Amino acid sequence: MLTKRQNLLETIRGGNPDRFVNQYEAFDCDPRSPFGMIMGDPIAAASPRVGRGEPPAKDGWGVTRAWPANVPGAFPVHDEAHKVLKDITQWEKIVKAPRLDYPQSEWDKFKPQIDAIDRSDVFVTLFGAPGIFEQLHYLMGMDDCLIAFYEEPEAMKDLIAYVTDWKLRYAKLVCDNFAPEVIFQHDDWGSHRSSLLSPDMFEEFFLEPYKKWYGYYKQRGVQLIVHHNDAYSANLVPFMIEMKIDIWQGCVTTNKVSDLIRKYGGKISFMGDIDNGLVDRENWTQELVERHVRRACEENGKHYFIPCITQGGKGAVYDGVYDAISREIDKMSKEMFR
Amino acid sequence: MAKIDEVKEQVIIGKTKIVPGLVQEALDEGSAAKDILQAMIDGMKVVGDRFSAGEIYVPEMLIAAKAMAKGVEVLKPLLSTEASTSLGTCVIGTVEGDLHDIGKNLVNMMIGSAGFDMVDIGVDQTPAKFIEAIKSNKNVKLVACSALLTTTLPALKKTVDAIRESGLQGFKIIVGGAPVTPKFAEEIGADAYAPDAGSAAEKAKAIIAA
Repeated sequence: MLTKRQNLLETIRGGNPDRFVNQYEAFDCDPRSPFGMIMGDPIAAASPRVGRGEPPAKDGWGVTRAWPANVPGAFPVHDEAHKVLKDITQWEKIVKAPRLDYPQSEWDKFKPQIDAIDRSDVFVTLFGAPGIFEQLHYLMGMDDCLIAFYEEPEAMKDLIAYVTDWKLRYAKLVCDNFAPEVIFQHDDWGSHRSSLLSPDMFEEFFLEPYKKWYGYYKQRGVQLIVHHNDAYSANLVPFMIEMKIDIWQGCVTTNKVSDLIRKYGGKISFMGDIDNGLVDRENWTQELVERHVRRACEENGKHYFIPCITQGGKGAVYDGVYDAISREIDKMSKEMFR
Repeated sequence: MAKIDEVKEQVIIGKTKIVPGLVQEALDEGSAAKDILQAMIDGMKVVGDRFSAGEIYVPEMLIAAKAMAKGVEVLKPLLSTEASTSLGTCVIGTVEGDLHDIGKNLVNMMIGSAGFDMVDIGVDQTPAKFIEAIKSNKNVKLVACSALLTTTLPALKKTVDAIRESGLQGFKIIVGGAPVTPKFAEEIGADAYAPDAGSAAEKAKAIIAA
């Protein structure tokens, strides 16, 4: 039987996997972390995270995050009192990236959890959020951000360059200290039905920054870039390939994943196709989960596909849903890998 | 091309800096304010249709709505003296437990661009807040409720139930959001469902005319 990491590599390389990769199993490396991936470092530790039901808090970029007790996740607050950047042309005066100059002793505190990872079985996986696009709309609010691509494109490019530069310097630090094998990076690029930006606009603003950022990780020995984007983005896959994304996690069913596998399999792999919106519901049943997992596995097959809930990390909103999906994937493995 | 037609064309392509001047030129040419407004509404219908068809994306829709808003600013002093062109008031909000505002904001803009007076009550709104907004605003013809999470589908039902049970009448209810389906909308007693912002504006006009 292949290890979890071997089985994943066989799957995405079109080799001989002996079962389906079961959701996040190959990236589940840190039992103390909420998503099972490495989430702790000195920079993250200094950036307050709001907890459910707690008062809103400002993160390292000055973005206020709120998490009311009755909602499933934290959100940036963009009313007039809290929006960080109200005029994109003033970004140089307003936007201040978090400091990165922490002493080595601060980094060393996080190393025991890295050393404890069984690298023969799972990948040393670093969780990253937000992405470049998300960082922009966290600072500006979505509406202002999207309008600014038209009205102030040069200022937007300058701000993107500033954010990317910070992310590159952060990438150097985590590579120096943690030597991650996989980067699991969030950046949602669409809605359920379409990409937020046209492919042309996406290419103009984001292709090169992402090539630079993900390219750096690859130069430093990172084996896999897994990019989370639980949205429609089938029209952006050629750019994902150019950015050196190995696995697109979060590809929702509206992308017609089986078509994407036929078209792009071998250049990129797809992880998802089991939408939270379809199975992660108050009235979920094992039969409902079984139906969606079966469809995903049968349609997409054994190569270049990892059946997975589309949300960007291990777990689900409703208790039991994630484990129910895992059980059905195991059943499909027994059926399809005989 | 008459200036009023140019206004429409420039709204469609989102020329925020050009539209106000063109609106003034159309007025100078003798067009009535309400006709110019209608030309811009027609332009936004084209934008909504193109968005629904996947021909344009969110920034293009936002920039067109902004161009129209700039044009409306020029018309405002005149529109208040002419007969009302409003289709009525629309109360819009995202239901309790849901902080998503992008879809709601887009629908707000598109329904507003179709000729409704919009009252945006924001995100994470209880059924009581929807009812309060319906009561405290005049001529409410439409209530638009948004939910983006599977966790807030029950809140969407609760909101529609509460509005119905309040006994308030004279308006239709439209619902939408990623996990909402036409079947679900029907089950919870909504009058209409729209899959995206472009079609929401058309649905809104159709159901209040029915």
